[in-house]
Formats: sequence, structure tokens, C-alpha cells
Amino acid sequence: MTAIDARALTQAAPAGRGTRRRRGRVRWGTWAALLIIALFTFLPIYWLLVTSLTPSDKVFTFPPSFWPGEITFDHYAEVLGNPLIFGYLRNSIIVSVITAVLSVVVSMYMGFAFSKYRFAGRKSLMYFVLSSQMFPQALLLVTLYLVFAQFGLLNTYWALIISFTTFTLPLCVWMMKGFFDALPDDLIEAARIDGAGPWRVFHSVILPLAAPGLVAAGLFAFVRGWNDFIFALTLAGPDKQTLPPGLVNTFISEASTSWPALMAASLLVSVPVCAAFILLQRFLVGGITAGAVKG
Amino acid sequence: MTSPSVRDGAVPRRRRGAPLSEKTFLTFLLAPGVVLLCAVVLYPLIRSLVTAFFDESLLYPGSTFVGFENILEVFRDDFLRLTYQTLIFTVGSTVFPFIIGLALALVLNQRFRGQAFLRGAFLIPWLIPGVVVSFLWMWIFDANYGVLNGILMSLGLTDSPIAWLFQTDTARGALILAKTWNSFPWIMVMLLAGLQTVPGELHEAAAMDGAGVVRRFFAVTWPHISGVAGLVILLEFIWNFQHFDTIFVLTGGGPAGTTSTFATEVYDTAFKGYDLGQAGALGLVWMLLLTILVVIYVWLSERGEKEGKR
Repeated sequence: MTAIDARALTQAAPAGRGTRRRRGRVRWGTWAALLIIALFTFLPIYWLLVTSLTPSDKVFTFPPSFWPGEITFDHYAEVLGNPLIFGYLRNSIIVSVITAVLSVVVSMYMGFAFSKYRFAGRKSLMYFVLSSQMFPQALLLVTLYLVFAQFGLLNTYWALIISFTTFTLPLCVWMMKGFFDALPDDLIEAARIDGAGPWRVFHSVILPLAAPGLVAAGLFAFVRGWNDFIFALTLAGPDKQTLPPGLVNTFISEASTSWPALMAASLLVSVPVCAAFILLQRFLVGGITAGAVKG
Repeated sequence: MTSPSVRDGAVPRRRRGAPLSEKTFLTFLLAPGVVLLCAVVLYPLIRSLVTAFFDESLLYPGSTFVGFENILEVFRDDFLRLTYQTLIFTVGSTVFPFIIGLALALVLNQRFRGQAFLRGAFLIPWLIPGVVVSFLWMWIFDANYGVLNGILMSLGLTDSPIAWLFQTDTARGALILAKTWNSFPWIMVMLLAGLQTVPGELHEAAAMDGAGVVRRFFAVTWPHISGVAGLVILLEFIWNFQHFDTIFVLTGGGPAGTTSTFATEVYDTAFKGYDLGQAGALGLVWMLLLTILVVIYVWLSERGEKEGKR
């Protein structure tokens, strides 16, 4: 098998002469596909940016101009100066940060148990965690609303934090399990022989080594809380709502939508998420793949 | 497993005298997650399904048992219409992103300058919050000042502006387009990961044997990524089947309820109609359809795992 592989590799370098022309055509098709998909992907983003920078009187003309004649940052100032939106921003930060912290703590414990312990019901519990992301959230929401109302948690940050933390668990637990799987069992054995109890083995030996995984899981949970719409819309009252439903309430409910301001706000909401991704890039691709396909 | 009873200076000082036993520690590890999942997923799920058999309102307390009446009403009124509308959205929002995601993954799997940057840049539509996706497309589809009407009219393709979101057919298309834009990057990432498993020498060997691009795709590439592709399609299908945000913001289920799905209908029945029993019944039917999909997913991923071990 290896011999064949090696021969294929050595022969691969000089490509057949007859296929060169066909390759040229393929190149062409490749670039055309890339161009079309790129236009589809980036034109809307370009339009978002242009609208947010165009003066209002230029935006509401028809047909629209695709190039802003003059650039203004008024819409950004309008959004940032709006105390209502500032409140939503504060709520978003509070909810997302606490969600991230809680989610990391809960999922690191659970992920460690799945990775390094063998116990009765392990497999079924893992399936339960994984399948919990399949249940329709619109349906869970109806009862969650009643439960939170019963405990007086409706219109509090906790209603959002508890829900978001739970919904990040399937992916975060799997990410953490993946990180712990990569750590050798000998490490635990060695610490144990030195006389450390399980608590100490986990917190002073394992956890420091899994720090990158903790960061990745935390950023993912942050984004999940930051992006959510339906729960924040329903479980939190006007003064506890996060940005996504807050923006809908501020801009869409009015008779005429202030599109440039809404586009400016949209861009501002998207920035932290994109920043988190840049920090996360190294882990994320592995993480999304692992969470869905199962490690 | 018994914990070692060696005690010297290295052993941490503990509130309780002895180190935790492994069993206690395991319980401690699992408890928070299990409690959360039971409280936020399992209990609400069961309770809302039980509500399907009761007459219960959001506005006043108390409930009366009505048997299968709510469920029968679902099948009398909404079932066919909702299933049809949900399927249109689900199939459209799965097929189109898959085609685009696959094409892009194949392109970006080749080596060229700027490929790493493009891989990141193409993820933007998937990264930004779902609500922003909805805002953006709402603005593009706007009847009065929207850029889509602007382009079409300046090209002379239509004479008068089209109210995209206020006609059944175009509204359905608009929803699928917005969701496609939002979800193809994730499919691309997944398929790119799958493409890494295709051995390069196989391609070269096939090319030397004179196999064309199409032939090589089906003979060499596809067998290696068909597992991932199947899971991606199924997961997308399941997620779109319960998708809420885009529909709720962009059309609100309109015009005249022709773009509503199980997700928006359950929400509206509970929080705008205040009819919890009816919402539960809708949810029960919805869950039955979803369960079938999830069973397929588990079966497929289990099969994939077995194949991976071979």
C-alpha cells in the first residue's frame, strides 16, 4: 500500500501534457464560480456599509445610488447617543459575559467527566446532551416563560443567562471533551500517585493545560448569548432586553424605518462577534466540526 | 476506585478532612449540567407536550382536560398548510446553501494566494447576528427605496417597484434567499474539513488515467465527503425545520400567514393568541415530525462513527 502511494506521489509532479488545456478551462470555471459567490456574499455587506455612511436625504431617493457621494458618521453618532440603545448594549454585555463564564464552568466539568470517566449511563447521557440542541426552541420557550414567571425570574437577566448557558452546553461540552481527550491519562495517574485527590488533579493539573479550550468555549458561549433573538425578545422585559430584540423594537416598530441608523446599529452589533471569531479562529473550525459530527 | 490515603504536605487542605472520593467527584462534575438540561430542556419539553391535552390560557390560571381535541383541531385546520409551508422553507434553505457551500468549498480547497483570507471573509454572513441578517435583507427587499428594485429597474427588467415581502411567492423566495446567505458559510466550513480527508495522490492518479474534473469529483472526492455531506444536509434540515428568527423579523409569517411555519405559528398561538393548549398541540405534532429527523441523524452519525473506526 505504502509502495503504491509513494509511486503515485513521485509520478504526480509532472502532470500529463494532454490535460493542460482542460485544466485551463477548469481554472476559468473555478474563478467564475468564486466571483459569483463573492458578489452574492459581499454585495449585501457593502450595501450595509454604504447605507450606514450615506446622509439620510441621499438614502431615501429612488433609484438608489450605489456609491455614497459624501460620507457621514451622523448615523453612528445617532445610534451611540441613543440612551435606549445604550441600555440594550449594557444588557447584552452583562448577559453574554455571565453566560460565557457559567457555560465554561459547567461544560468543563461535564466534558471532563465524559472524557476521563467510564460510568453507567455515560453513553445515554452523552446522547441526551447532544440531542438537546435538536428540540425546537420556540416550543420550549412557551413553558420556560411560565416556569420563569412562577419563580419570579421573568424580566430578569437570570432568565436569559440560564437559558443561554443551557443551550450552549451541547457544543461547549463537546469542545471541552475534545480538549481533555487529547491530554494523556498518564498525567492524571502521575498526579494521583503523588497523592493528589481528584479535585486537585483536575483543578491544578488538568485545567491549566486546557486553558485554550476554556477560552474557545467561552467565546462561543458569548456569541450565542450576544446573537440570540427569540428568548431575549420573550423572557426579558423592555429594560432587560439585549440588542437584537432591542433594535427590532427601536427601529422596526416605527411607521417608517430609519434604515441608515439601523444599518449603523447592525454594523456595531456585528463587530464584537467578528472580533471574537478572529480570536477564536484557531479553535472554531475544529469546534464546529466536532460539535456537529461528534468527536 | 479508592482515593489514596497518603497525607503529607502536598495534599491540599480541604474543608472536609479527607480527599473527595472519585464517585463524589464524578457526581459533582455532572450535576450542574444535568440539572440545567433537565430544567431548561427536558421539563419544558414534557410539560408543553402535556399541555396539548388541556385547555389552558396564558391570561388566566387553571386548565381543563380536553383529551385529543386540540390535536384534532391542528389536523383539521393547520396541519397541511403548515407542513407544506415549513417544508418549502426547509427544503429551499437546505438545498441552495448546500450547492453554494459545496461549490465554494471545492474552490477554496485549491491552493492559491489569499485563500486563507477568503476562507475567513466568506464566514461573515454566518457570523453576524441573525437579526442583522434579517435587517439587511429587509432593507434590500424594501419596496420603496430597496436596492434590489433599484438594480432591476435600472437594468430595465421591471417597470414598477415590486413589494417583495408582501406577495406570497416572492416573500417565500426572499426568506429562502436571506437564509441561504446566512447558512452557506457553515456548510462550506464543514465540507472543507471533509475535503481534507481526500488523499491528493488519488486525484493525481485519476487525472493521469485521463479522468475529467466531473468524473474525478464523483469517483474520488464525493466518496470521501459523502458522510459529512449527508450529516450537514440533515442537520441543516432539522435546524431550518425549527427556524424562527428570519421568518419572524422579515415577514412575520405574512402575507396572510402564507410564510408562517410551525415555529412562528407556535409562537404566535402562545404569545399573541394566548392559547397554550393549542400551542402545545401544534408543538406535539411538530415534535413528532422532528423526532423522525433526529432518529435518522443519530442513526447516520452512529454509522459514520463505526466507519471511522474501521
